[in-house]
Amino acid sequence: MRKLGAILAGVVLAASSVGHALAQDGEPIPVLVSLPITGPVAAFGEHSRWGFELAFAQANEAGGIDGRPIAADFEDNRCNPAEGVKSVTQALSQKDYVVVLDGLCSSATLAIMPVIERAEIPMITANASATAIAEQSGVGGNKWMFKVNPADSGLTEAIVAWLDKEGKADKIALLAEDTDFGRAGSDGFSQALKKRGLELAAVEYYQQGTADFTGVLTKLKALDPNSIALYSIAADFQNLIRQYFSMGMKTPLTGRLILSDVPEEILKRGALDGTTTVQPYTIEVDTPENEAFVAAFEAMHGVKPNLLSFESYETGRLLVDAMERASAIEPAALRDAIESASYPSILGTAIEFDDNHLAHNNAVIMRVTDGKVEILGFSGT
Amino acid sequence: MRRAPALATLALAIAAALPFLIGDAYIYTLGLTICVFAVLASGLNLVYGFAGLLSLAQVAFFGIGGYGTAILVVDHGWSMGPAVLVAGVLATVAGLVVAYASLRLSRHAFAIVSLVFSLLCVIVARDWVSLTRGPMGMPGLPSPTIALPGLPPWQLSGPRDFYILLLVYAVAVLLLLYRVMRCRIGRTLLAIRQNEPLAQSMGQNPLAYRLFSIGLSAWVTGMAGGIFVFHLTIVDPSIFDFYYLETMLIMVVVGGPGSFWGVLGAAVFFSAIPDLLRFSADLRLVLYGLVLIAAVLAMPGGVAGLLRRRRLRRWREARR
Amino acid sequence: MNVDFVLQLLLNGLILGLIYALVAMGLSLIFGVLEIVNFAHGEFYMLAAMGCYFLTAGAGFGYWGAVVAVTAVSVCVGFVLYEVLLRRLGGRDFERSILLTLGLSMVLQNGALYLWTATPRMTTTQYTYESVVLGPVQAPLVRILAVVLAVISFVSLYLVLHHTRVGKAMRGVAQNRDAALMVGIDPRVVSRLAVAVGVGLSGVAGAALAPVYSVHPLMGFAFLFKAFAIVIIGGLGNVAGAAIAAVALGILESLASGFFSLVVVDGLAFVLMILVLLVRPHGLFGGGVRV
Repeated sequence: MRKLGAILAGVVLAASSVGHALAQDGEPIPVLVSLPITGPVAAFGEHSRWGFELAFAQANEAGGIDGRPIAADFEDNRCNPAEGVKSVTQALSQKDYVVVLDGLCSSATLAIMPVIERAEIPMITANASATAIAEQSGVGGNKWMFKVNPADSGLTEAIVAWLDKEGKADKIALLAEDTDFGRAGSDGFSQALKKRGLELAAVEYYQQGTADFTGVLTKLKALDPNSIALYSIAADFQNLIRQYFSMGMKTPLTGRLILSDVPEEILKRGALDGTTTVQPYTIEVDTPENEAFVAAFEAMHGVKPNLLSFESYETGRLLVDAMERASAIEPAALRDAIESASYPSILGTAIEFDDNHLAHNNAVIMRVTDGKVEILGFSGT
Repeated sequence: MRRAPALATLALAIAAALPFLIGDAYIYTLGLTICVFAVLASGLNLVYGFAGLLSLAQVAFFGIGGYGTAILVVDHGWSMGPAVLVAGVLATVAGLVVAYASLRLSRHAFAIVSLVFSLLCVIVARDWVSLTRGPMGMPGLPSPTIALPGLPPWQLSGPRDFYILLLVYAVAVLLLLYRVMRCRIGRTLLAIRQNEPLAQSMGQNPLAYRLFSIGLSAWVTGMAGGIFVFHLTIVDPSIFDFYYLETMLIMVVVGGPGSFWGVLGAAVFFSAIPDLLRFSADLRLVLYGLVLIAAVLAMPGGVAGLLRRRRLRRWREARR
Repeated sequence: MNVDFVLQLLLNGLILGLIYALVAMGLSLIFGVLEIVNFAHGEFYMLAAMGCYFLTAGAGFGYWGAVVAVTAVSVCVGFVLYEVLLRRLGGRDFERSILLTLGLSMVLQNGALYLWTATPRMTTTQYTYESVVLGPVQAPLVRILAVVLAVISFVSLYLVLHHTRVGKAMRGVAQNRDAALMVGIDPRVVSRLAVAVGVGLSGVAGAALAPVYSVHPLMGFAFLFKAFAIVIIGGLGNVAGAAIAAVALGILESLASGFFSLVVVDGLAFVLMILVLLVRPHGLFGGGVRV
């Protein structure tokens, strides 16, 4: 129904506007989103999709781009490079998409990049985290690739700087999933610590899908570090955090924790007190823009947004902004408009791309005190 | 009877030429995917359909070929041609070790050990970071150049060039496998599969024949992986995705283990049709599972077996 | 060396091993009697855990009620599985049994992903946040309960196999199918019961572990391969051997994760399995059943 409403609104607007090329009016603008819809990280793909859907629904309700609604197609990449290349090539050959969005998984995104470069269509990733993406974009070679979410190195630098200021940066142990996400977090931590003449007290990687962490947690408990940096998500994180709790561990955590995923009971009992973490986003951010976003998201999808839906929402909004400024709705003009973007983020800063087409939005530093999450502040990335 | 392969060859030749007429990037990508799976499925067919060994390590050979080639080119400055050949040999060596160790025990041990070998490959790809770059994989593989004798060097870029290369490769491999399956080696493999003690008593050494089939299969599978990763421009641990293995198994089981044309047809069908019909991937795998169950229960010889039985029945009726 | 640290590792390992045993026993039983490697075993475990989650979270069941209900349903699923699919496999068609159960696993796993997405779910019971402290070491209550269920299952299975007619028939078929036929055992009845009990055991495992681990469609996948390794190390078809191998592996893994890096732990089961196959092809406790 909402889609129908948007299309109707677009049609009405198109009918009322004069002076435009009439044949163009009301014709949907095709946008391609590549995501894992199936496979082990399908849950993340879902959230990213919801973020884009909200951004485009809002833009379409407001009349679209000169009366043209944005029509997003979501293609599955299974978080697998081969599937990503195949599905994007297929989609691009069947419709004249003006832009490709997300990719979500770093490896899939990296594999899609040459495809969109050859096709000369801009791509903006909202959630892929690998540092290699920005290294290969802009002055790094691929003029068509953009990255909205901060690179891992920026986030780890922000959290380590914060911990260092509080004198807690020494003797940090790291436990990370053995994926590009975990490895990038680990590299970022070691580099940020090295800059300060420190190093990690222990580094452990676990395979995705590991259910039992009691062994490694016992080891870390005996090591007694000042804090444990966690890079763990989804089902693994649920297992890890419950086992951490039930083993009576008190070591503060750090790294990139999604605190909203921690069971309420564990937070309430104060097991995570003293934990300091960094994220590009958290729903607790206390601004009217964020409250409006969270409310609209819940109204549309029935769940609260998370980090992924936020990044995709902002990317969608940034794209709408670029489309409004672009001299024409076609890939090259859109690319130029994205490159010159200065989009006001929900977090209060302006998103602008550097020479590597990487945006440096603020990161949020959070702390758990007395069973409650509080926002300590924002830090540049 | 002799008409069928000739007709099939003609149809395949026309189908292979089709992408050049359409000239569309997606059709090239689809075409090269078909070529890759035709090689993978036929390789598994040699091992399972002829030698009777359920190899769950095919995906490992594919990945070893991919990683081997990428590492030789990027870290050691090899050109792609020799790198692909050597990476294929690496896959062969791995296949021979797995097979030799487990076949001394039984066919069953081989199935289980080959599965575990694939799982171990994923762990190595993720954790031997100094060699494989770990879970981040090796992105941005360069577009390779092939030196052709008497011609200017050919730099491959884009799906069209890779389609040409993989088409040539697939045709060469399929010709080779066809020869092997139709000559004395293929017949001996079938005989061993049907009655091992009998074949042994006729003076054949089953182990040697089985090792040969696995080595050859690993070699062509590994080389396919080596070329494929340069089309993707990245190799990472997801090259060992179980999904590839499941797809290969479907192709062989439905096409008909032991039937060259049946498996080839199934490979073309299963790499093209679900893609063209745009099935959702979750449901695609549910459907694949159902097809696999149905094929195992209802047609042990696959589609090729069904056709053969029907032909046989007609022939009997005609003789009556 | 800190004694408490080692004690805690040993306790963790013992618990983990008994959890492995719970998952591996059914797999071993089905192999022993039917010579079928059940690739869908992990999926039955996952579905049972899902069932336990939905019963406790949505249908107002208490935890123990859910355990009983899930186990009963699993036994029925086992009956149906045998009658509809496994019965049609010829006597010793090892490769086809793998393909068949692999197909079943694809259907169940991807169907579950389609229905419920990959979102992890947590089964919360009254025991979830409690721990038992024994001197210097401690263990979560939900794990202790899972271990109790594992021990009960093992003892009952042992008693059935050794002290009932049908149990003895099962062992007979496992040891020598032809001889069992000759003395008048109906392999169909015995096989059907073995599959029902085997799947029922994966049901107990799912219900016992639903409060211990997060519940999601891919949870069976990781456990399955470890269970394969255990069953082979223990001697294919040897249920007691599998249980002992499971406990040993749990303790070894726990000690390894205490003293080495986690990568060693991930490969441990597979490397041990290959070594056992090379040195003692019939498993450490193997009898007459071939691999």
